[in-house]
Amino acid sequence: MNSSLNFTAYLIYLPIVIVLTWYVAHVLFKNSKIFMLDIFSGRTEIALSTNRLFETGFYLLNLGFALVIMEITYNVPDSRDLLEALSSKIGGFSIYLGIMLFFNLYLFFRGRRKSRQKAQAAEAVVNKPGMGTH
Amino acid sequence: MNTIAYLLYLFITYCITVHVGLVFYRNGRAYILALLHGDERITDSINKLLLTGYYLLNLGYAAWMIQSWETLSNWTEVFTSIAYMTGRIMLILAVIHFMNMGVILHFSQKRKHFSHYKN
Repeated sequence: MNSSLNFTAYLIYLPIVIVLTWYVAHVLFKNSKIFMLDIFSGRTEIALSTNRLFETGFYLLNLGFALVIMEITYNVPDSRDLLEALSSKIGGFSIYLGIMLFFNLYLFFRGRRKSRQKAQAAEAVVNKPGMGTH
Repeated sequence: MNTIAYLLYLFITYCITVHVGLVFYRNGRAYILALLHGDERITDSINKLLLTGYYLLNLGYAAWMIQSWETLSNWTEVFTSIAYMTGRIMLILAVIHFMNMGVILHFSQKRKHFSHYKN
C-alpha cells in the first residue's frame, strides 16, 4: 500500500501537536491568572471566567488550525520524506504557536496598562474635589 | 467508508460542541451578570437562550457540512477529511467566540461610560 506512510505521518503528527498545544496553553493560562486579577482589579470571579474563556478560545483556534493544516497533499514514499514533511509541519506549527503566545502576552500587558490608566484617572477624579476643599 | 467517517465526525463535533458550550455557559454567566448589574433572573434566562442558540447553530452547521463531503475510498482519506472538517468547525467556533467576547466587552464599556456620565 502506497499511502500507508501518509497515515503514519498523521499518527505521529496529531499527538505531538495536541501535546504541544496543551503544554503552551497550560503554561500561558496558569501564569495569566495574575494578569487577569490585575486587569479586573481583584474581582476574582470575572477574572477567572475571562481566563477560562480565553483558554478555550486558544485551544479552539490552535487545534483547529493544526487539524486544518494536517493533510500532506503528496504521497510520502520513504522515511526520509516522512521526516522532512513532519519537521516542516511541526516546525511551522511551533512558530505559529510562538507567535500566538507573544500576541496573547501583548494583549495581557496592554490590558493591564489600560486598567492602570483607568484607575489613575478615577483616582484623579475622586481626589480633585477633596483637594479643592482643603 | 463514508458512513464511518460521518459517524466519527458527528461524534467528535458533538463532544467538542457540548464541552465548549458548557464552558461558555458557566463562565459567561459572570459577564452577563456584570452587564445587567446583578439581575440574576434575567441573566439565567439569557444565558440559557444563548446556549440553546449556540447548540442549534453549531450542530446544524456540522450536520449541514456533511452534504459537501467527497467519496472516500481508504482510511487515510477518512482520517484526513475528518481532521479537516473538524478543524474548520473549531476555527469557526473560535472566531465566533472571540467576536462574542468583543461584543460583550464593547457593551460593558459603553455601560461603564454611561453610568460614569450619569454620576
